[in-house]
Amino acid sequence: MAEDWRSYEPLLIPDIPNLHEIDVYEENGGYQALRNILDNREGKWTRNNVTNEVKAANIRGRGGAGFNAGLKWSFMPDPDDRPRYLACNGDESEPGTFKDRNIFEFNPHLFIEGALIAAYAMTIDTIYVYIRGEYIDWVNIFEEAVEEAYEKGYLGNDILGSGIDIDLHTTYGAGAYICGEETGMLESLEGKRGYPRIKPPFPAQKGLWGNPTTINNIETLANVPLVINNGAEWYQSIGAEGHNGPVLYGISGHVNKPGVYEYPAGMPVMDLINEVAGGIRGGKDLKALIPGGTSTPVLRADQLEGVSMDSNSLREAGSMMGTAGMVVMDEDTDMVDLLWRISHFFHHESCGQCTPCREGTGWLEKVLLKIKNGDGEIKDLDMLLDLTTQMEGRTICALADAAAWPVRHTINRFRDEFEARCKKSVHAVA
Amino acid sequence: MPEVFIDGKRYEFEGKPKLLQFILDQGLEVPFFCYHPSMSIPANCRQCMVKVGTPIADKDTGEYELDENGERKIRWFPKFQTSCSTTVSDGMVVHTQESSEEVARAQKDTLEFILINHPLDCPICDQAGECPLQIQTYKYGPEGSRFEVKKVHKPKRVQLGERVTLDAERCINCTRCVRFTEEISETNQLTIVSRGDKNYPMTAPGEEFDDPYSMNTVDICPVGALTSTDFRFKARVWEMNQTPSIDITNGKGCNVDLWTRDNLVLRITPRQNEDVNDYWMPDEGRDAYQQFNENRVSRPSIKLDGDNQSNTSWNNAIETFAEVLEAHEADNLAVIGSPHASVEENYAFNKFFNLLGAANAKFTPHVIPGYGDDFLITDDQAPNANGCRLINLDESEADGIKAAIQNAEVVIILSDDLIGRDVFSAEDLDDKYIISLATNQTPTVEASDLVIPITCIAEHAASYINVDGRIQRSYPAKETKYTNRRLNLEMSEGRLDRYGTNFDNWVSEENKVDCLPVWEFLNHLGDRLGLAYQQDHSRTIFAELSNQFPALEEITYERMDEEQGVQLPIEQQEVTQA
Repeated sequence: MAEDWRSYEPLLIPDIPNLHEIDVYEENGGYQALRNILDNREGKWTRNNVTNEVKAANIRGRGGAGFNAGLKWSFMPDPDDRPRYLACNGDESEPGTFKDRNIFEFNPHLFIEGALIAAYAMTIDTIYVYIRGEYIDWVNIFEEAVEEAYEKGYLGNDILGSGIDIDLHTTYGAGAYICGEETGMLESLEGKRGYPRIKPPFPAQKGLWGNPTTINNIETLANVPLVINNGAEWYQSIGAEGHNGPVLYGISGHVNKPGVYEYPAGMPVMDLINEVAGGIRGGKDLKALIPGGTSTPVLRADQLEGVSMDSNSLREAGSMMGTAGMVVMDEDTDMVDLLWRISHFFHHESCGQCTPCREGTGWLEKVLLKIKNGDGEIKDLDMLLDLTTQMEGRTICALADAAAWPVRHTINRFRDEFEARCKKSVHAVA
Repeated sequence: MPEVFIDGKRYEFEGKPKLLQFILDQGLEVPFFCYHPSMSIPANCRQCMVKVGTPIADKDTGEYELDENGERKIRWFPKFQTSCSTTVSDGMVVHTQESSEEVARAQKDTLEFILINHPLDCPICDQAGECPLQIQTYKYGPEGSRFEVKKVHKPKRVQLGERVTLDAERCINCTRCVRFTEEISETNQLTIVSRGDKNYPMTAPGEEFDDPYSMNTVDICPVGALTSTDFRFKARVWEMNQTPSIDITNGKGCNVDLWTRDNLVLRITPRQNEDVNDYWMPDEGRDAYQQFNENRVSRPSIKLDGDNQSNTSWNNAIETFAEVLEAHEADNLAVIGSPHASVEENYAFNKFFNLLGAANAKFTPHVIPGYGDDFLITDDQAPNANGCRLINLDESEADGIKAAIQNAEVVIILSDDLIGRDVFSAEDLDDKYIISLATNQTPTVEASDLVIPITCIAEHAASYINVDGRIQRSYPAKETKYTNRRLNLEMSEGRLDRYGTNFDNWVSEENKVDCLPVWEFLNHLGDRLGLAYQQDHSRTIFAELSNQFPALEEITYERMDEEQGVQLPIEQQEVTQA
């Protein structure tokens, strides 16, 4: 795609005034995908066909893991006498990530339509939408949209005369990052502490209250009506090889125009920074980029040449796509300060269930604070790196990994800066 | 049979065991903290990590693929697996810390993490000596710590409830206590509060941890975070002797250990028996230790003038007892056995008075309807009602006992506070001669004319039959004036007995109660009366019982020891109200 992004017309959040109102949404083709499916549910759009189409489109999960959404749907067991749930994850709380908020605000019905299609495809009659508590204003906005959808018969009993009943419940968190981890969210939805669960069993087997459950990100589900309206092949034509579709890039940090921008996946990183976001503030030089939320490894400016925002390109560069929440840092950024702040976040947010994360996140932060205050020693850097390997892959959920990666990669990629902050060795070095 | 290879050795398994439990069942070891065989598996301590792989099988034929050496190709899990939550599968290959450096390193890493915010105050911690964290740190932990920054501080000396004290800094967040109140006692009184390295278990605001099973959380706490408020700072584990016994505070007969030092029982903890109490016991049963030490009847006493009892010699007690018996016809004796006493005591007691021509002793069950729960607390307040029934004592309701004493001139009561539990009142005993054979001071003992001190469950070997008809026995845990730990082969040996010097063991004479087993006292009394009555020991008494009562056929102390008690083929009886 490379160069044609300048002519890209937004699909997820098109520039249409008052699109969040259901009438405006309907006037602009809203709920057509759902109608189309319900009208043709004996023909083209059987439940399986919907799943297969979404699977073929390969919507990579926008919550950070990048897993094929349709494939995830297909893991649901065949319906039995148990209830089945769709849990929509709107708990985005990783620093640098603020994209789902725009969907709630500007195009909530697209998401509702996507969730309804997903519920139909998986024979689900109950949808939970879990929104981070700090978004209380957006919860209210979204709840208005849900009310409208109920009034218009898109939600509730006998949707559009199809005989299908689907309910949607909105709930919100109380400020814990870990409740955005999918199984931590299930616990929270059940009214418990947000302790992530051991997998297996996976949510599709035993999810909410032990019943089959699929968990999708808000943005992921907002892509679904596009796929149904235009087909998997069309969807595949947008974006990069292996990573398709429109992406909401949340750009923050030292840029002139921070914000959420919708462009195809696979955008050249430098174009996003320099053109979309208006370049580095004050004409400074770019120093580093966190590409997809603070858990994704930081990249130095010299590592960004030719890199595009898709999972393959970012993996090659040594990072990850995450949530496409890009944190841009200029030449004045203190990387020690930055890393301490990131570690402070993960220390604060560790649920405390697993030993390596509970203890490791605090240890990382405390040592980084020591280094930041100029009391660190070179050996502390090596110990920090050691601790990251003691944490990675040893816990129930990925929070320990998310806390360990930034430490490992920031130290490795900006080692000089960290060493400069450490106390000089008391011994003469030959 | 499906097979699993652990550290290169082949084991067969059935069903779908969890790897950690399977390893433990083989007598092998992997360190762990949060896992408990009777509770759900949270896999949160991350201590039991092992390396796990499965053989690669051809999709079509199901045959295992082999490498160039003819060995099965193994697909290793990319991450270490917590063995507690891993289900063993056919052909699985496991490397524990015994055969894998990386696994040993990973376990050491986790222990390093666990210890960074742990106060390491073992020298003043009650758990020291029986602490899984301490033991496993010595075995698998790092040699020092690289942690040079400030530890997290959390609440200390928090009284969670009447019985349990929390030191949150020692907590390693295994959630065993929380799961206990959720899954076992089902009171849901504990939860984890706060987040990350600040979290610790707590009750809801304003709520007290008054779970009737609260102290089990002290037992299962793998560190010294939850300690017994009563036992705190009283004794070191290695100073005490641990003797198996039975909970006598209710009819369930929970298997317990009595912990003694210097002939005082200092605490009671549950002993695992999956047929009776699993790993648990009610708090009430633990409080019973006090009655073994305090308020004991020591030396016989006699009422000489009016209502005042005074101590007397054993010779005088035997003489007085004998004279009373000689002065009254057997028909004028009311002989009352006790569901609170053991099978052997009741049998020896009853047999003696049978020889004198008295009818079988009466007894009345001690039941409080509605007192029990569906778990380990029973309506029956006594440990041996079924034992009394089995040896054909005459079961009566309170009125029957009352009628019996009204018609008698002499009332002889074995170890049962009949006044205290309102079977009759002290007035009902006016003008009667009352003889009590008792362990503790009670209103009944106070109302007695002659009091014979007898051994309690902590001082003799004897058996008890619980509400479910299971016979289980006790061992002597503490010495009396007339027994000696070193000469009594039934007594347990503690670390100090084995390795200590003479000065290490406490030998306060005042902690030894001046009492005799019922049968020994009756031997003396029989000698004085010229009766053909000789009972050497509870073991021989039980052998006699076993010959006499078909339900006890082929049951011996050895069998009770080996099988942790034996279920008897006796019918369940409706409990009747006292």
